[in-house]
Amino acid sequence: MENDETKGAEVTIRLGAAAGDGIQSAGEMMMKVLARSGLYISTYNGNQSLIRGGHVWFHIHAGTRKVYSLGYGIDFLVPLTQLAFDQHFESVNTGGAVIYDPSIVKPHDLQQGVRGIPVPLGEIALKYDKRPIMKNTVALGALTSNLGVKFEVLADAITDQFGRKNPGVAESNIKAAREGYDLVKNLGAQSFELKYDYSCTKPVLTADYAFALGAVNAGCRFYAAYPMSPASPIVHWMASHAKQLGLTVFLGEDEISVINATIGASYAGARAMCGTSGGGFALMQEAVGEAAMTETPVVVVDVMRAGPSTGLPTKTSQGDLNMMLGISQDDFPRIILAPRDSADSFYTAGRAFNLAERYQVPAIILLDFAIGDGGYSTVEGLDPSFTVDRGKVVSVPSPGAVSGGWFRRFALTDDNISPRSFPGTPDLMFVAKTDEHDEWGHDLSDVNSGLKEFLPLRVKMHEKRMKKLESIKKELRLPEIFGPTGADITIVTWGSSANPAREAVQRLRMQGVSVNSLEFTDLYPLNESEIKRILQVPGKKVALEANYTGQFETLLKRETGIIMDAHIRKYDGEPIYPSEVEKGVLSLRKEVHAVV
Amino acid sequence: MRLSDLKEFESDTRPDWCPGCGDFGVLAALKDALVKSGKKPHEVAVVSGIGCSSNLPGYIRTYGFHGLHGRPVPVAVGIKNANPSLTVIATAGDGDEYGIGFNHVVHAARRNDDIKLIVMNNEIYGLTTGQLSPTSKLGQKTKTSPDGSIIYPLQPLPTILGAGGTFIARTFSGDPKHMSWVIQEAIKHRGFALIDAISPCVTWYNIYDEVKKLFYRIEDRGYKITDQQAAFNAMNDPQGIPTGIFYRTEEKQSFQEKLAEINGGKAPAESVQTLDRNVALQLIQEFA
Repeated sequence: MENDETKGAEVTIRLGAAAGDGIQSAGEMMMKVLARSGLYISTYNGNQSLIRGGHVWFHIHAGTRKVYSLGYGIDFLVPLTQLAFDQHFESVNTGGAVIYDPSIVKPHDLQQGVRGIPVPLGEIALKYDKRPIMKNTVALGALTSNLGVKFEVLADAITDQFGRKNPGVAESNIKAAREGYDLVKNLGAQSFELKYDYSCTKPVLTADYAFALGAVNAGCRFYAAYPMSPASPIVHWMASHAKQLGLTVFLGEDEISVINATIGASYAGARAMCGTSGGGFALMQEAVGEAAMTETPVVVVDVMRAGPSTGLPTKTSQGDLNMMLGISQDDFPRIILAPRDSADSFYTAGRAFNLAERYQVPAIILLDFAIGDGGYSTVEGLDPSFTVDRGKVVSVPSPGAVSGGWFRRFALTDDNISPRSFPGTPDLMFVAKTDEHDEWGHDLSDVNSGLKEFLPLRVKMHEKRMKKLESIKKELRLPEIFGPTGADITIVTWGSSANPAREAVQRLRMQGVSVNSLEFTDLYPLNESEIKRILQVPGKKVALEANYTGQFETLLKRETGIIMDAHIRKYDGEPIYPSEVEKGVLSLRKEVHAVV
Repeated sequence: MRLSDLKEFESDTRPDWCPGCGDFGVLAALKDALVKSGKKPHEVAVVSGIGCSSNLPGYIRTYGFHGLHGRPVPVAVGIKNANPSLTVIATAGDGDEYGIGFNHVVHAARRNDDIKLIVMNNEIYGLTTGQLSPTSKLGQKTKTSPDGSIIYPLQPLPTILGAGGTFIARTFSGDPKHMSWVIQEAIKHRGFALIDAISPCVTWYNIYDEVKKLFYRIEDRGYKITDQQAAFNAMNDPQGIPTGIFYRTEEKQSFQEKLAEINGGKAPAESVQTLDRNVALQLIQEFA
C-alpha cells in the first residue's frame, strides 16, 4: 500500500538520448547531485554497443532510505530524442513528468496524470556555447529545479565533471544549467520534493570499482586485463591509480596471455588478479586448470554480460555460472563467489584473496553488467580494515622439506595444503607442474606414469587437491535472509538478483504478502547440510535469476537435492525489475491459494 | 662474489629425452651460461610449455614453471613483472613458440619484456610423434604430410625483427660454446631476447648432419651488429645456416623499466599489504 510518506521518500529518473549525446556523464552528474543531497542511489546504464547514435539511457533510483534496485516505473523522464520518448513514455508513473525540448520531441499519448514540461533545451544551450551537447546540462538544470534541490549542488557536480579539463567549459555549462533551473522554477512546476541533507554525502560506486578498490586494499598490486565490456571499469580504475598506489597494470595481447601472466605473477609472490567477461573467460579456461594443478592462487573476475558468443555486449545476464562450474579438463577445486552489490563486492575481493591464497586455488568472482558497469549503488561506512592471510608461505626449509635439492612444494599434509615458497628464496626451489607430479614436483606423467607403484600416488595427489573443497565449504558464507524469517514465499536469489528481489519484497509486504528472500553470494563449493537446513522453509521457494536454464537452481538441486517450487528467469538482456519479481510472486501466490 | 658451480644447477632428475637429442646440448649450455653469468639457482626462474623440450625445467635446479602448451612467455612476463630481480628464462619448442603461442612472442618482442626465450627448434612435433611444425620445410615428409609439406615454413627471426625485437640470435646445439655465449649475452641484454636454438630430433626428423654441414658463425665471417637491414640480410642465406647474434640494441628500455616509472619500482611480489587506512578511505571518498 502506498502512502504519502513512502511515495515522497524516493524518486526514479530516466535520461534518454543517442550515444554521443553525453547521457552517461549527464546521468552520473545527476546521480552525484542526488547523492550529495543525502539520498541513497541505485542506477542502471542502458547503453548500446556503439559509440554514436542509437538509443542509450541512464536510470536513477534515489531515496531517503536505502534503495537496492531500479524502483518502480519512472517519475521523471528526460528524453533528448523522439526515440527516447517513444521507448520510455509508457513507463512514466502517474504524477510523474516528462521534461522535453518541444522542437525535438513530440510528447504524444501522454497518460493522464503525467505532466509534460516543455523546455527549449537546445536553444538555451546554444546561447552559452556552440555545443549542442550542452542541452543535457540544461535538462539537468530543469530536473534539479523540479526536484527542489538547490542549484549549487548541480553546479559543483558540473565543475567536477568538466572543471579539471577545461574551466571555460564548466562555466558555460553552469550558466546553461542555471537558465534551465530558473525557467522551471519560474514556471512554478516544482512537483517533487524529497527531504534533502546536503551535509550527508554518501559514496556511489559500481561493483567493478568496488572490487578493484577492495582488491588493492587486500594487497593486490598486479592486475591484468584485455579490454572487454563490462569489465573495463576495473582496468580503467587500476590504470588511473597505478602511479599513486604503485600498481602494475598489464594489458595483455589476449585473455590467454592475461591469465597466464596473472598466474606467473602469483607464482612469483604477488597477489595477482585478472578480469574479463564471458567470452574472454572462455579463452582463459585452460589456464584456470593450470592454476589449480600448480596450486597457484589466482583471483579471476568475470563481469557477466548477455551471451552466448558476442551476445549483447552491453546488456546483462547471469549466464556464466555453468561455465565456471565446468571449467577445464577433469576435476579440480575452485571457489565461485557472486557479490550482490558494490559494498559486497568490496569485501568479497579481500575474502577471495585470502581464500585463494590459503587454499592455493583459483577463486572466480561473478559480477554482472547490472551492477558492474553503470550499476552504481550507495555504500555507507565501508571499512577498509583487513588482515592479509597468505596461508602456508615459507622462507626457510624445515626438516624433511628438501630432498635431492628440491623443495617438497606439493607435500601431502593433514589439511591437504602444502607449504609454498616464492622464487628468489634460497634453497626452496621447485617446479610448478601442469603435469601430474609427486610431492617434490617431479613428473608422474612420463617415465613413471601407469607404473603400478605410482598409481596410488596419482590418486593421493588428485585427492589432496580435491579435498580442499571440504574445508573451503565450511568457510564460505551461507545465504542471508532479507525480510523476516518465516514467510509463505521465499525468493531464492544469487549475486545481483538479490537487489530487485529486495525491492519487490518490501513492496509486497506493504501489500500484505508474506514473502522474504534468501540471498546466496558464495556459490561453490556449497555447504550441502547447512543449506538443506536453511532451505527447510515452510513456504514456497521461488528461484530468481537472469538466465534461461536456471543455472543456480540446477546447481542447488544437484548439490542438495532441493527442488524449487517455481522460478522467475529473465534473459532479454535487461535488468530484472522489481515489478517483474512482484508479478511473478503474485502469480505464484494465486497458485498457493488455489492449492489451499 | 663466489661463482656458483655447475653442480648447484644439477637436478636429481634425469632427462627423459631420446639418446642423442639436441636438447641435451641446450640444457648443458644453459647451465654453463647461468654459472658464467654469476647467477644463483634461486635467482632464476625457468618457464616452459609442453613438448619434449619443455620438460627442461626440473632437469635444471632453479625455480621452474612447467606450464601449458604455447604459454610460457606470458607466464614468464608475469613472473618478471611481479619480481623484476629474477632472471626469467622461457624454454620451449617450435610448436610452442612459433605455432600455438607465437602471438605472445610477437608482443613480448614489441614490449621488450626483460625475459629470455630459448626456442628449441627441431622443425617437427616430436612428443606427438612427428607432425608438421610451423618451421617444417616445404616438401618435408611427416605423418601429416606423407607426400611432403605444401606449406612454406615460418621465418621467426625476421618476423620478430620486424616486430621490434631487440635481441635476435640463432645457435646450434652441436656448437655448445657458441650457445652458452649467446645465452650469456642474452642474459646481459636489456629486454627481450629470442634465441632460436637448432636442436635436432634424432627420432622423427634428424637433421643433425645437415645442420652440422651447413651452419656457420656469422661472427667468424666478420659480421658486426649494425642496423635491422644488415641483420635481415645476414639471417637470410638460402645456401647455408647462419648462427650468431644478428641484431641487438640496448637503446630501448625494457617493459619492466617502463613499468617501474609508473609504479615507482614497487614490485608486486614485495608489496602485498593492505592500504594505509586513510588512503583507502580517501579512495572511497573519490566516489562521493
